[in-house]
Amino acid sequence: MTLDLANKELEKKYTKLVGTAASNICAHCGWCMDSCHVYLASGNPENTPVAKAERIRRVYKQKHDWLSKVFPFWTGAKKLTEEELEKWVKLAYRDCTLCERCVVNCPMGVETPQLIAAARAALVAAGKAPEILTQLADMAISREENAELYRDYFLEQVKEIEKQLQEFLGKPDAAIPIDREGSKILYVPLSGAHTILPEAIIFNAAHESWTMSMFEASNYGVFLGDSAKAKRITERIINEAKRLKVKEIVLTECGHAYTTLRWEAPKWFGGPLPFRVRSILEVLDEYIRENRLKLDPSKNSEPVTYHDSCNLGRKGGLLEEPRRVLKAIAQDFREMTPNRLQSFCCGGGAGLVAVEEWSEARIKAGKPKADQIRETGAKIVVTSCDNCRHQINELNEHYHLGIKVTSLTELTVQAMVI
Amino acid sequence: MDSGFVHFVEFELQIIALSWLVIFYVIKVLQLSRLPLPQEKEPRKGSPVLGALHSYTNIFIPWSMESSKKHFWRWVEFGAYHVGALIAILNTFTTPFAPGIMTQPVRWAFAILIVPAFLLGFVKLARRISRPEMRLISNPDDYFSLASVEIFFFTGIMALLLDTSVWRTIYFLITAAFLFYVPFSKISHYVYFFFAATFTGKRYGWRGIRPQAGKT
Repeated sequence: MTLDLANKELEKKYTKLVGTAASNICAHCGWCMDSCHVYLASGNPENTPVAKAERIRRVYKQKHDWLSKVFPFWTGAKKLTEEELEKWVKLAYRDCTLCERCVVNCPMGVETPQLIAAARAALVAAGKAPEILTQLADMAISREENAELYRDYFLEQVKEIEKQLQEFLGKPDAAIPIDREGSKILYVPLSGAHTILPEAIIFNAAHESWTMSMFEASNYGVFLGDSAKAKRITERIINEAKRLKVKEIVLTECGHAYTTLRWEAPKWFGGPLPFRVRSILEVLDEYIRENRLKLDPSKNSEPVTYHDSCNLGRKGGLLEEPRRVLKAIAQDFREMTPNRLQSFCCGGGAGLVAVEEWSEARIKAGKPKADQIRETGAKIVVTSCDNCRHQINELNEHYHLGIKVTSLTELTVQAMVI
Repeated sequence: MDSGFVHFVEFELQIIALSWLVIFYVIKVLQLSRLPLPQEKEPRKGSPVLGALHSYTNIFIPWSMESSKKHFWRWVEFGAYHVGALIAILNTFTTPFAPGIMTQPVRWAFAILIVPAFLLGFVKLARRISRPEMRLISNPDDYFSLASVEIFFFTGIMALLLDTSVWRTIYFLITAAFLFYVPFSKISHYVYFFFAATFTGKRYGWRGIRPQAGKT
């Protein structure tokens, strides 16, 4: 039964992208091998992108490749078995963070993450996805269903943060507006004050017309590979934005939330959304260009480096915006090598950071990133993704990097002249 | 060697084998084309056309990918191997259909370009056998494809250098057998490349990811 469900889901995911990646396009040249942080850190041949892709490709080949149908042994094609499906759990959720570094280093452009995403969807259908990711996705949905229950508690928390905001700015009328109809911006934070207070300071200092979302930006449906849940979680924010008649949604520093709402959601909902979607990084970049913030980079005099989140950079296209901001707010900005499109994943992406039982493997997979950070000699690592931040904090502890991990908005606030 | 047989092998058999190849490719391309493609629908940040062009040309720019920048020799090897393959394929057309241009210097030039590819084939085979990572991802089709290309190169070199009817017949028999096998093997990667380059390139271009001016 579970196999039938998994096979059906795999077929549903058989699009042009997956069909191409599952075809003979992969010449097994091995060029992608050392682009994968998991393989580099483990040295395990089973962790190369091509080896991981091959495990899924061979199931597709057995169904769609002529030669494989007749002589499966010749191409390594195999039917999906319960045992194999069980092995896919670690392969798809632990050993691949869908970072796409292999794609940009493949001479053929094979979309291995598309195959892994198809495997994740099959695992969801078979009920084999990691429990914690399912729970987190369900919690987000339940928050919408029980919005009234959460509302008072949420407003109370916001009031507390508002007091800190007023104190910081020295303005008793500074506010964190909620549910303000007709605002220009609907700002979507994550849970936790660290993605509310700095942005509130920045919006207030820039005299922005804004309101804050009742919901958090993160979307565990995306990590799960459960498109129905991913859509449902995204829809909460879209409906809120429509209800409040805002002109744009601005997402907090969160990699997958940006890629999801900016690039994927319009596909799910049949066309462009009726408002603009931007990351706070783009807004900060704009404020700095328009001189809407008074900044003093000497307030951030320690060496700073920037970690490109895979979702924001390689998958989202936000490569130069954070760098322009950093040059305006920090005195000594140093690049990691390699960076931008070739940046290494922190090792905790695609939901892995939430799965406690795999933390050892995750920390190990973060070794290339830890080495990169150490080489810069930076004392502060800025990252614009909360998952990356969590992972780099743990890398810091484990590999004794002696750094402080912060976000771009927090560092901007530190450079602000009030 | 019976001249009628030589003629059949060089002409009729080649046309049959090529038609076979084309028919199967057309079917495969149609099958792939019928699959849905999630189109980018959001306001774009860059150019999908430039993105696709970048994907097509990426391989010619060794510094554009870490995999070629860091392993420059591997990139040179890749280039030499594929140049040899292209010349060997070109030769299957020029020898029977444009014999006038196949003068001795041209034949020698062709052979000189195929020889490095032939030798590099052994390097590829050795790497596939000796490295555990490569062994793990290799199946009988990988070894057979590599070996059959080596035979194709070798007979091509001999036919070019010696230009005897015996070597030409062997070369074209091998070519025909090769063409019958190619649509089902991983050698077909050059056809699927255009799909991946277009889809992936368009997505990266649309999102302003590639081409990008940043340093790596």
